[in-house]
Amino acid sequence: MIQRSEQVSLLSGFFLLEYLRSGRFLLELGMVIASFVVFFRPTGTPIRADHFFTVSGLFGPVLAALITSAIIGMGDRPQAYIILSHNVSRGVYLIGLFCSSCSAVLTMYGILCLLVALFNPVAELDLIKWVLATLPLVLNISLVSALTLLLSPLILSTGWRLFVLTLIALALSSNVVGGPLLNQIEQINPFLVTILRALQTLLSGPLVPIFYGYQLSIIGNLDHASAWANLLAQGLLLLAFLGLACYAFNRRDLIFSAS
Amino acid sequence: MTDVILVDRLTKRYGHVSVLRGVNLRVTAGEVYGLLGPNGAGKSTLIHLLLGFLHPDSGRIRILGSADLEAQRRLIGYVPERQRYHSFCTPREYLTFLGRCDGIPEAQLRQRIDELLKLTGLADVAHRYLRTFSRGMLQRLGIAQALLTDPDLLLIDEPTSGLDLDGQQELLLLLNDVRQRGHTVFLCTHRLAEVEYLCDRVGILTNGHIALEVNVAEVRQVAGSIAVRTGPLDLPLRQKLEMIGQEVTCDEQVVVINPHTPELQARVLQVLIEANVPIHALEPQMSRLAQIYMRTVRGEAVDNLLVPRKPPLQVLLRDMPPPTPTDEVDPLLKRLLQRQATNPTDPKDGNQ
Repeated sequence: MIQRSEQVSLLSGFFLLEYLRSGRFLLELGMVIASFVVFFRPTGTPIRADHFFTVSGLFGPVLAALITSAIIGMGDRPQAYIILSHNVSRGVYLIGLFCSSCSAVLTMYGILCLLVALFNPVAELDLIKWVLATLPLVLNISLVSALTLLLSPLILSTGWRLFVLTLIALALSSNVVGGPLLNQIEQINPFLVTILRALQTLLSGPLVPIFYGYQLSIIGNLDHASAWANLLAQGLLLLAFLGLACYAFNRRDLIFSAS
Repeated sequence: MTDVILVDRLTKRYGHVSVLRGVNLRVTAGEVYGLLGPNGAGKSTLIHLLLGFLHPDSGRIRILGSADLEAQRRLIGYVPERQRYHSFCTPREYLTFLGRCDGIPEAQLRQRIDELLKLTGLADVAHRYLRTFSRGMLQRLGIAQALLTDPDLLLIDEPTSGLDLDGQQELLLLLNDVRQRGHTVFLCTHRLAEVEYLCDRVGILTNGHIALEVNVAEVRQVAGSIAVRTGPLDLPLRQKLEMIGQEVTCDEQVVVINPHTPELQARVLQVLIEANVPIHALEPQMSRLAQIYMRTVRGEAVDNLLVPRKPPLQVLLRDMPPPTPTDEVDPLLKRLLQRQATNPTDPKDGNQ
């Protein structure tokens, strides 16, 4: 019997081919070229590594969200019934979609790096430094892809999506709903503020590896144990997102969009 | 007979809408089973439940003896209702991809794809993108992909939906070819002609359950029938009309010609005109299956439309007069018959 890993690679290849032939990739390619022109065009002075990774560390995840949405859109159609009727499990189907999204995003990131290397090389960045700085960035890209997948209509119903988004908003709110605002609320209802602070602390926990990973890619230094621990945390978070997505996808009724 | 599909008290609801309410179904190996039902009756829902795409609220499904529907999918071919396929690939690429997902070895897959493209008449367009295909071509591709693994069970959902008359005809011929190959087929449709043409047995799904199952052979008609509504017909006239042919049957005010031909109709009308009987209407009659279907969906009784099953051979032999022994018969048979004539026994005891 065919191995699941073979099926995943088959599906990834198939979705990538569909993504390329549909011409949708031109939009993302245009974005890559535009970002090169805006942020990294030759100006006479070579760009610094921290500048390159600060920009690409933000641009990569944005691109990941866009491309993953596009590829999930291709997977969330009645055509999927045919594929799933051919000995392809739901989990394999989902991981196939995820892998094709990641492959497309990483190809776009590769194109950006190539453009920079050809036309405006980063100062004092050799291949090893590039790989070390890229590693946490790639994990962040994968995390954003997995989160986009998890929050797609293919996986979660509208109610659950809103619930997860609320949790994410709460986790990110410590910078917004803090300081004076929280103090004002505390005067009215101290118990509510205690709960809010506890929730913010609890929910922002999973976001730490993402933000620290972003920082690591800018610094480009993985010499300390905490850096590798963070890479491990990013990997585990990725597995958790994918596991959750597969679990939810397995449990739900398959009613694809427009079917 | 092996049960290929076994469904027991299956229920499914979408939110507050109950679609299936206790469906019981049994399809045996080699059978072509048609599921008839109006739009929205839950036919596609049932197919998706059989494939494991939907989870039942309660009840039991077993496909080829197993309740693990995901694992059984490799033994099932599925032709969906809507002809939606990945449009940016060719039929050959698409079938190759699906065949690889099924784990068919490369050499065998190439040969199989060639066979199926030929069977479905797509060999000449095997290198065209699917987005250029007509609905009929896409539906034929649907059948090709469903047959890739030579499955034990074919689930076909509304095969001729959205096709023009030519397309429908072509597809029915193709499905008839498929039928001859001995697959067990479960066909969902709301078109009676498809069922009459292809199926051995039909179930009528209405109000969330299978309200009636009939053997198609018992209700199939070779041609349409017509009813002539007239004024009162006296007995001699009715006898005269029925003398025209066994296709003509009379009631007190109705003459039915079944199967109907223009010649028979002309002769009946001539007799009626000569007898000065007023003719009120000529009404083409629905096929018996159509009448059964309509009445079942409306919740009316259909007993008078169902032909009683043929009695078993043993009963027929019991009712026949014993043959007279002659000199031409085998001497042993002659002795047996003579013994039966002199010492008649109850046929029930014959097996003892």
